[in-house]
Amino acid sequence: MSRVRSDYEKSFRARFRRYISGEEELKDVDYMPLFEKQIADERAEDEKATEHYLVPPIKDPQEDARLYAEYSGIKWFRRLYQVMAVVLCVAICGVLIYNIAFMPGFGSADSPMNNGVSERYLEKGEEETGVTNIVTGLIISYRGFDTFGETHVLFIATIAVMILLKLRKDEKPVVAEGEEEGGDIILTTIARVLVPMIFLFGFYVLVNGHLSPGGGFSGGAVMGAGLILYSASFGFTKTAKFFNEKIYDIIKVGSLLLYSMLIGYNLFTGANGIASVVPLGRAGEILSAGLILPINILVGLEVACTMYAFYALFRKGAI
Amino acid sequence: MNEWVVFSFAAILIIGGLLVSLIAAFGLFKFRFALNRMHAAAMCDTLAILLVLLGLIVIDGASILSLKLGLIIVLLWCASPVSSHLLANMEVIVSSKLKDNCEVPEQEEGGASES
Amino acid sequence: MIVKIIMLLLVLFLIVCALGAGFTKNLLVSIVIFMSYSLVMSIIWMFLSAPDLAITEAAVGAGVTSVLFFATLRRINAIDARDRKEEKHEPGKE
Repeated sequence: MSRVRSDYEKSFRARFRRYISGEEELKDVDYMPLFEKQIADERAEDEKATEHYLVPPIKDPQEDARLYAEYSGIKWFRRLYQVMAVVLCVAICGVLIYNIAFMPGFGSADSPMNNGVSERYLEKGEEETGVTNIVTGLIISYRGFDTFGETHVLFIATIAVMILLKLRKDEKPVVAEGEEEGGDIILTTIARVLVPMIFLFGFYVLVNGHLSPGGGFSGGAVMGAGLILYSASFGFTKTAKFFNEKIYDIIKVGSLLLYSMLIGYNLFTGANGIASVVPLGRAGEILSAGLILPINILVGLEVACTMYAFYALFRKGAI
Repeated sequence: MNEWVVFSFAAILIIGGLLVSLIAAFGLFKFRFALNRMHAAAMCDTLAILLVLLGLIVIDGASILSLKLGLIIVLLWCASPVSSHLLANMEVIVSSKLKDNCEVPEQEEGGASES
Repeated sequence: MIVKIIMLLLVLFLIVCALGAGFTKNLLVSIVIFMSYSLVMSIIWMFLSAPDLAITEAAVGAGVTSVLFFATLRRINAIDARDRKEEKHEPGKE
């Protein structure tokens, strides 16, 4: 237990903290009046300088209409804006369609997509990364940096939604009374059967990402949809018993940090040509493909947490 | 001989399923009230899909694929009637033309106007 | 050949859905059309032999995005207002 000094509440540090969190105006701190006087002086000077330009308040409605007719350039501008928007859209459509005419046919042999890069991925991919589903090998191993950035984008998006929608402690929740209890008995009975199946399917897609179609993003999205179904049918209080904000924080930040470490190791060994300590194993087994399996699971957890967090923040303003 | 029996059985099932879904599509455009339409659509959701998937199971025989098809049937029979039920519930609460199209019990009506 | 015809039909449906989602006045109807757009898009991904994308599109596009749109409409009272208007209509009729 840390001892709090008796004058802590009055100190500048405490005040500054409260000012940052928006609880208090930083007015009566000792040196503030000096600045305030300066600011007030500047503002008065500004007002004096711009006095002539100020339009006097209008009392007469006819005068108001005359002024409106005088300044109706805005109206004209709005009409021009609409016309220009349509013209711009049509022009962009025309340029794009014109360009499409020069593109090679779908799947034709001489298209610029069919160069040496994709051939090499398809030939050497299984040998180098140890996956049988080459898409996952491409996403996580060859283009690992992109996926790394995408996962961070998800994290940042959640933070942005939290800043916008999360309720402070003194605000009332937006969920209306009676809504919290969840749906009717048919929905809850079926959800009790369906939610474990959805979770099982999501986890299957997640873990088998390097063997069959699927992977971190798809499996995570399916698991997130299952969580949303659970909380929509049973209510938020029941969901909070196993998935509250603390667990959410631990899962989200922990998986992101672990993922960063693993992908950092991958990038380091790949860039320097060092052999990774994790063996690749035999292709086609569940415990193979080196670090791809744990990275898939971590990405899936991240995506599932993001989906549920969006839903919970939109519905009730907290997780 | 045996193959032909299996094939004709599967064909009857699949054609029956397609017929049911055709009738459902017809009903969807013929009926005017939302609950009647929902009845037609729910037929397509459950019975038609059951018949078509049963036909596919009969073609495939006992294998892992037919097990997956059976799981799809279970999942759809769990999910789609519940969603139809919720949609119908919403319609009963919201609709303004409910009285014109079907009989409403008294206590039901009182509960609906309260909520 | 038959695959090509089915693809053509699906793409036509896709275009109709995209135009419909843009041009409908009712926001709720627009969201439902957008949902069907996502489902058709996931079928097209299956035809283009990209099952990874098909799973993701079906889960994110048709499931989570629509739920988020519905939650947003609920949040800004776009659904509630419509309900109240129709309920107000009811007693006048009786």
